Amino acid sequence: MPPAASGSVWREPTKADKPPKDADLQTAWLFLQDGVEHIMTRLHLGMSYQYYILLYTAIYDYCTVPSRGGISFNQKGGASLQGADLYKKLNQFLTEHCKQMRDEGEKLNDLELLKYYARQWDRYTTGASYVHKLFNYLNKHWVKREKDEGRKDVYTVYTLALVAWKRNFFRYIQKDTNEVSRLTQAVLRQIELQRNGESIDNGLLKKVIESYVALGIDDADAQRQNLDVYNECFQKYFIQATDKYYAAESAAFVTANSVPDYMKKAEDRLQEEGDRINLYLHDSTRRELKEKCELVLIQAHQELLWEEFQSLLDADRESDLARMYGLLMRVPAGLDPLRKKFEDHVKRAGLAAVERVLPAPGAVNEAGKAETLDPKSYIEALLAVHSKFGGIVNGPFRSELGFNASLDRACREFANTNAAAKSSSRSPELLASYADQLLRKNNKDLDPDSLEQALNQAMVIFKFIDDKDVFQKFYQKKLAQRLVNGGSASDDAESSMISKLKEVSGYDYTNKLTRMFSDVNVSRDVTEKFKEKDRRDGQSEDIDFTVMVLGTNFWPLAPQQTDFSIPREIAPLHERFTKFYNDVHSGRKLTWLWHVSKNELRTTYLSQKYIFMTSAYQMAILTQFNENDSLTYRDIQTGTKIVDGFLKPQMALLVKSKVLLLDGDTYDLNLNFKSKKIRIQLNMPVRAEQKAEATEVLQAVDEDRKFVYQATIVRLMKARKHQALIQEVTATISTKFTPKVSDIKKAIDYLIDKEYLERGSEKDTYNYLA
Amino acid sequence: MASEKKDQVVLVTSDEETYTVERKVAERSNLIKSMIEDLPGQSDEPIPLPNVSSSVLTKVLEYCDHHKNEPLPAADSNDADDARRKASEIGEWDAKFIQVDQEMLFEIILAANYLDIKPLLDVGCKTVANMIKGKTPEEIRKLFNIVNDFTPEEEEQIRKENEWAEDR
Repeated sequence: MPPAASGSVWREPTKADKPPKDADLQTAWLFLQDGVEHIMTRLHLGMSYQYYILLYTAIYDYCTVPSRGGISFNQKGGASLQGADLYKKLNQFLTEHCKQMRDEGEKLNDLELLKYYARQWDRYTTGASYVHKLFNYLNKHWVKREKDEGRKDVYTVYTLALVAWKRNFFRYIQKDTNEVSRLTQAVLRQIELQRNGESIDNGLLKKVIESYVALGIDDADAQRQNLDVYNECFQKYFIQATDKYYAAESAAFVTANSVPDYMKKAEDRLQEEGDRINLYLHDSTRRELKEKCELVLIQAHQELLWEEFQSLLDADRESDLARMYGLLMRVPAGLDPLRKKFEDHVKRAGLAAVERVLPAPGAVNEAGKAETLDPKSYIEALLAVHSKFGGIVNGPFRSELGFNASLDRACREFANTNAAAKSSSRSPELLASYADQLLRKNNKDLDPDSLEQALNQAMVIFKFIDDKDVFQKFYQKKLAQRLVNGGSASDDAESSMISKLKEVSGYDYTNKLTRMFSDVNVSRDVTEKFKEKDRRDGQSEDIDFTVMVLGTNFWPLAPQQTDFSIPREIAPLHERFTKFYNDVHSGRKLTWLWHVSKNELRTTYLSQKYIFMTSAYQMAILTQFNENDSLTYRDIQTGTKIVDGFLKPQMALLVKSKVLLLDGDTYDLNLNFKSKKIRIQLNMPVRAEQKAEATEVLQAVDEDRKFVYQATIVRLMKARKHQALIQEVTATISTKFTPKVSDIKKAIDYLIDKEYLERGSEKDTYNYLA
Repeated sequence: MASEKKDQVVLVTSDEETYTVERKVAERSNLIKSMIEDLPGQSDEPIPLPNVSSSVLTKVLEYCDHHKNEPLPAADSNDADDARRKASEIGEWDAKFIQVDQEMLFEIILAANYLDIKPLLDVGCKTVANMIKGKTPEEIRKLFNIVNDFTPEEEEQIRKENEWAEDR
């Protein structure tokens, strides 16, 4: 009967050996035991259908023959099916069978024990599943009835076999419940060998570990998986061993190797342990094993990794950065210090990039003037830093939200305040100048696609700009110049940029820009219609006239503070147009912006005909000379009514270009004027105006801000507490620029003065006076 | 394994009659099905059925052949089983099939039990149940030819115990 003894000659019983239908237990079991033993130990010798049916029939007969009172009534009134004694015999047999294996197992250790155990497990469970089906009749009737009546210690045959294995074999190599068993020790030893790099039999371990899972028998429901045995006898010790192994290994490794090498090692180990689950462990171990490995391999060394981070950043070691991210993302708060360091690093890089494009102190350009910061180099320097670290966020840091936030914070910081931008209005101004460079007609280097690309890049910086209202003002100013001077490279690019701004900052933000744009288009129409009317009226003027009618509220243009006497040469035209416009749009007031108008004058007093391109002031001055060749300054001022501040610089320009000759106090028309060009540009910007521009814009911003403060307060004012009001105003405005608390307070006081608000009866409250 | 999965099996009854039937017909019997699965490589060997006579097997095979293409009830699916068993109706074909004399009826039930053909066992048992329904103990004894072996005292005792179930 020993399981291994299969050498003896085996003769299969025949019909003649089968006990009679009414055989007693002894006789019947003798026949059955031989069959069960054959299935359990000698199945490789084969088994005929005949023998199988004989055994099955013997069980059926024993359970159904009524002579032993099989179908009778017990006290409870239910049928008592036969089978208890057969079940008992089978259990005894299996118990004996397992005890023999126990004796064999006692002699073995380590790998030999594993091999023996796995071999026996294979044989035993295969046999048991056959016997289970052979005893189907017992399972379905007697066992089922017993279980239905609530007996917990009766099992179907296969489960009975597992219980016998567990009680009589497994538990003995299991020793004490609180001590790791020889079997588990052997498994752990194999795993350790594998971790040391030796090759082991994975299939063997898989089989043994499967037995731990199978032996968890759930008393309530045998079908349900119960991992008690697996957890108690194996997983617990396995996790302990893992902890110990990797604690020792990683501690030794980091002292002898670099951090990048350690990260590779840790990554490999984590991969290996993940694979180990698939090779032979139960899937339920995955989480605990992963957590343990992450704790020992990563968390325990995280300070070391954090320290290494800066030098990886400095050296652009992208693959090591990716690896570090991959490791630290697995442990709680593992990435936090990296995000902080990354933010600081990007900020430093941004500040350094600006330093590099700053003109050296005292540097001079070709014209001998102090070198100024080129907006293009400035914006491109900011972009280069953003793009470089954006690449690192999207590459090694897998576009993780926290790093994206760090990048944004860092960029916002260096984009608003740096060596070139000491005040927060400088960056918006430079950005607006950069956009102007891109959109201006003389920008020949860019095809439409590259231009669009460059505008998108400009928008990257725009998003980081705090004082968006400053940008708005500068942009508006530059746009006005481009539109009025016809200096725009393309309408498409202009409107594309406006819609980009609208997308980020909304309709209100771009409203004026859009209106300016459409004013220019409407003006083309107006000019056309006016000319048509002139033609109809039979007017044949020698003056080609183009007009732009610009909405006062949308354009950053205002008439200059000076009188201006409209020269008689253009007075009829001026009158006709004013009348025409008032007829079409009655009630609108036209204000003439002489200082932005441009004029072309044809000369008739010189042997060569020249065309002078002039400002309106210059035109007014030069038309004075239609009657006289010589005039004094006083004559000219009387004739034009232009104030000194504007007249003098214009006179100087005309003298400088040699159109007029200054003789003492008298200006003479230069009758010998000569030039290589036919068209001569006299309309030069006056330096003082250029300088004033930035200051003027910033003043405009400040004015606007006062209104923003007041408007925001009024909007939030429904008897709110002072502190809450300040906070909400700050929150609301900060999308436009960074508000100052002192300014908010001033605005509140102003609103109280203007009786929009009053102080409430309670302390620190206000009431809104509608 | 495909080559071993031959289409025919040979069955031998207690009275030594031999039947060659389609394997899927024979596999309506859970006994035959699991045996063939567990003992591959002997498919030519005849299968003896010492507890079934040829007259009964003929009848049983008729049933199996009729139902051969239906899905087999899963080995341990008790829920579906119970639902089927609880429905007291018997299918049209089955009802006609089971119209046999009493002796044959019991033989079929025993064979279905032995061969482990659950749906057939259920048809048989439902038929017997329908026969009993609405009859007095006396009528039942007469129907199945049972000798009353209760003493009058015992009978009174049982009647009292089951009083609650009587129609009133």
